[in-house]
Amino acid sequence: MNHAGELISAYLDGELSRSEVEGLFGHLGSCGKCSAEMEALQSVRSAVRSLPQLDLPPGLIPEADAEVIPLHRNRGFLVGAAAAVVALVIAVAAIFTPSAATISVEELNSRYGARASLDPAFGPAKVVVPYVVNLPE
Amino acid sequence: MRRTLALVVVVVMVPSATALGTDLDELLDESREASYTAEQVISCSTPEGVRDAVVELTQSGGELHVAAPADPDVEIASGFGGWSLVREGSVVSSTNVQGTDETPEPRYTVDDGAETEYLGRPATSYRMTGEGVVRAELVVDAEIGALLKVVTFVENGDLYCERRFIAFDPEPPTFSQSSTGSDVEFSVSVVDSDLPASLAGFERLDVYEDDEGFVFAYYSDGFFSFAVFETPAVVVLGEGSVATFAGRPYARSFSPGQVTLVWETLEGGMALVGDLPPDMHQEVLEGLPPPQDPGLFRRLWRNLFG
Repeated sequence: MNHAGELISAYLDGELSRSEVEGLFGHLGSCGKCSAEMEALQSVRSAVRSLPQLDLPPGLIPEADAEVIPLHRNRGFLVGAAAAVVALVIAVAAIFTPSAATISVEELNSRYGARASLDPAFGPAKVVVPYVVNLPE
Repeated sequence: MRRTLALVVVVVMVPSATALGTDLDELLDESREASYTAEQVISCSTPEGVRDAVVELTQSGGELHVAAPADPDVEIASGFGGWSLVREGSVVSSTNVQGTDETPEPRYTVDDGAETEYLGRPATSYRMTGEGVVRAELVVDAEIGALLKVVTFVENGDLYCERRFIAFDPEPPTFSQSSTGSDVEFSVSVVDSDLPASLAGFERLDVYEDDEGFVFAYYSDGFFSFAVFETPAVVVLGEGSVATFAGRPYARSFSPGQVTLVWETLEGGMALVGDLPPDMHQEVLEGLPPPQDPGLFRRLWRNLFG
């Protein structure tokens, strides 16, 4: 391998196979020039990636503006989906959470029994049974 | 001619006077005042099957204590507008109400009665009739006026419930202390209501609203009675079946001598508790708000904000 300039670029772009990477690194160990080029390219890429991202002024590049619209759509969809999930969680919680105002049949019996004790027919004809005792067959 | 007319008048008037028979209220009043200890069997034929129970009754001075022999630690004490569930001597649930003095118009008549014998004691057997239908047979102790046996019927003459004493001691019992009216958990008072003033021959005698904010009205036809409840939330009926009246579903459960019907409306829950025979259910329910599905959002709102 004489000079591995194209292979270095391909490696940094993640386009080499495993055997090609092994071959490249074998060459870098014995070639100071290629090794120095590898370091230089890595430094440049890192520097570019560390630069802040700036929004372009609207209308400067029409193609860039066209790309912005789908991004807004995605954000709206996500916000809507999040709101729907929150609403669903509240609904499910409300439906399956017992209401504080529930009343049992025993409480109804208590009220009916109290008022029935003032009834003219109160007595053996209006006995409220505390619980069921099945008679033998 | 005049003699013939007079004879006709006499013939017509005699059965009419006889038909007046015994006053039902007098019979019931006498039974309320009786003091005794008894064992009673309750057996009811309901659309859900037979409901039976054996209970021990102790009645004195207008107060009635009910216990089941299988569990002597539990007792229900009631009388004078009070109802208490007592477990091992402690009141675990109780209600007190103040009723009005209103009484329903007489719906039933009682015949003159026939002498009989019950549990070896002289007694009188009466038939209670309403609108041409025999609704009950009452066997009354000749000495103290206690209702020894009460059999109620549905419209076609089939038996609904039989309550009969199988043991009877007319000696006045003594209660260690009055269990009614103590440790009151709920106190209800008379209020106005939109619930119907009459339902299928039953008159609304009074209406109550308790601290929890739900309303109940008491209806009577002079013998059978029921309470209608309007609650902010749906009543949970543990057991029972679905009964359909006028094409609408109701949750229904029978216990010995009593029926409970539960349904949901747009505003909340409703329930009916009483001793009226099954053939009266539909006509009564037709006069009340019908079951309605409030839908997801109304139910959601009710659960969240009451």
